[in-house]
Amino acid sequence: MSVITIFNGIYCRENDIIQKIADKTGFSTVTDDVIIQQAGRTSGFSDSKILGAINGKVSIFNKFTHEQERSIAHLRLAVANALLDDNVAIIGYCGHLIPKEISHVLRICLIADTAFRISQAAKTLKIKENEAAGVIHKSDSNAATWTHTIFGNRDPWAASLYDILIPTDKRNDDDIVTLVSENLSNEVLKPTEASLKAAKDFILAARVEVALSQEGHNVSVNARDGAITLTINRNVLMLRRLEEELKSIVEKVDGVASIETRVGKGFYQTDIYRKVDFEAPAKILLVDDEREFVQTLSERLQMRDIGSAVTYDGASALEMLDDDEPDVMILDLKMPGIDGIEVLKKVKATRPGIEVIILTGQGSEKDEALCMKLGAFAYLQKPVEIDLLSDTLNRAYKKVRQNKKDTK
Amino acid sequence: MSKKENILNAGTALFAQKGFRDTSTSDIANLTNVADGTIFYHFKTKEALLLAILEKVKIDILNEFKQYTGNKQCDNGIDMVENAIAFYLYLSGKMENQFLLLHRHFPYELAEKNEECREYLEAIYNCLVDIFETAILKGQKDGSIPAEKITRKTALIIFSMVDGVVRFKTYNMYDASALYGELINSCRCILTCKI
Repeated sequence: MSVITIFNGIYCRENDIIQKIADKTGFSTVTDDVIIQQAGRTSGFSDSKILGAINGKVSIFNKFTHEQERSIAHLRLAVANALLDDNVAIIGYCGHLIPKEISHVLRICLIADTAFRISQAAKTLKIKENEAAGVIHKSDSNAATWTHTIFGNRDPWAASLYDILIPTDKRNDDDIVTLVSENLSNEVLKPTEASLKAAKDFILAARVEVALSQEGHNVSVNARDGAITLTINRNVLMLRRLEEELKSIVEKVDGVASIETRVGKGFYQTDIYRKVDFEAPAKILLVDDEREFVQTLSERLQMRDIGSAVTYDGASALEMLDDDEPDVMILDLKMPGIDGIEVLKKVKATRPGIEVIILTGQGSEKDEALCMKLGAFAYLQKPVEIDLLSDTLNRAYKKVRQNKKDTK
Repeated sequence: MSKKENILNAGTALFAQKGFRDTSTSDIANLTNVADGTIFYHFKTKEALLLAILEKVKIDILNEFKQYTGNKQCDNGIDMVENAIAFYLYLSGKMENQFLLLHRHFPYELAEKNEECREYLEAIYNCLVDIFETAILKGQKDGSIPAEKITRKTALIIFSMVDGVVRFKTYNMYDASALYGELINSCRCILTCKI
């Protein structure tokens, strides 16, 4: 009742080995061709189109047609149906479509050293070794694209994808066949109630996926005891509408007990939703005569949810204090009219609660010492890392709030 | 009008016409004759101001729609769709700045990372698409629109056509008013043809 899947690199002696495994175990082999034909029948796509979907040859119109996703949905359904038969060996790419929850599947990977494979290919195809290397490279990169599509893993030979990884250049055929049949008789691979249920859920999920992909939707589908969970992994503005539509499609699929939709990781661009941060500085005044610099800075701070006002000279900065007092001031030293040092002196004399960060292009060590003595919170040099600046701002604002609390 | 409303209106106009990034709070302050600080007082950040504007757009559209449905009586669904198109075009003229803002890219970028923004925009579009969906559904019930049409998707397609014509007008791509008659005809064709 168990199932074997065999994935392999080309020119690893795979044909001989697979034949011997089949002979020894009595399992019937189901190759990609068979699965592709089946998927072709249910989808109406040509076999070559489905093969293209496997090899990552996606049409530029795929964004609209979703042919790749639809092809894979139909492949999944074909594999799920193939599992209904007893003692099958799924050979090739399609075995990867079987979910891990189905525990009565022995996942085998056959692979060999590249040098060995190149010599095998050169011998079989009667070509030069560099040409053979090209053939192997092309096939491997298709395999990598596939495992990336299915698992997000560009290493098709990653041990985590299989139960046993067999180096075919280092072990003889008898050893390999014995290893496989020993593993196959392992208790772990006996079908259990849970694993059979998982196989049933796999078919249901595949049918749901086909129904959704037929309507142009691409969401990930999970089935558990007939309960379907749909995960929306892209940003959609009219989310409720979409959820309703997905549900109306899925509820028509036989065997669906319940439907739940949820929003996946890809829904929001950033993983953690940036709530308006009430700890962020509320009033920042930027004082600098380099208009372009200060505007850009203001916008960059804005992107970090730090609102700021801008003035271009010392006099307007001081006027601004009367109008509406900032919490933190970022101040350039060299400005026409009243220069930064003067502004700093006046601010600290009349409104000591305001923290001043000096941000200057030409300042000397002497300037720095003077500014710090006059009560500046920090002294930074242009060009400044935005991280450093926003961190300094946050610390300055923290101090402002602490002072305000203390004086209350 | 209160200072806060003034700021909201000025913000709507400036964000719509100059774009979010190219509008500084000083621009809004200048237009409303308040200090920058007043803006920060009412709205913590420029983003928060945009959110407040979107919230107001949502409320305004809902109110307009309530008035519209209260006044209109339609014999059948297909006429109701026609009315909905007319209402949408009327609304886009009446709330020109708000529609211009909705046709800018920035709100949607923000919606991708800000839940609140996404919710306001979803509510706005739900309301707008509902206008068409309700009409099509009525048409399918009274037989003026074939029942086998997928209501939801058809509503979205009609909506994108109508909104596309509004975009034509917004960006002066063509004399959009000349398209009105044909827009109505085309929508009628789409809705009444059998597949």
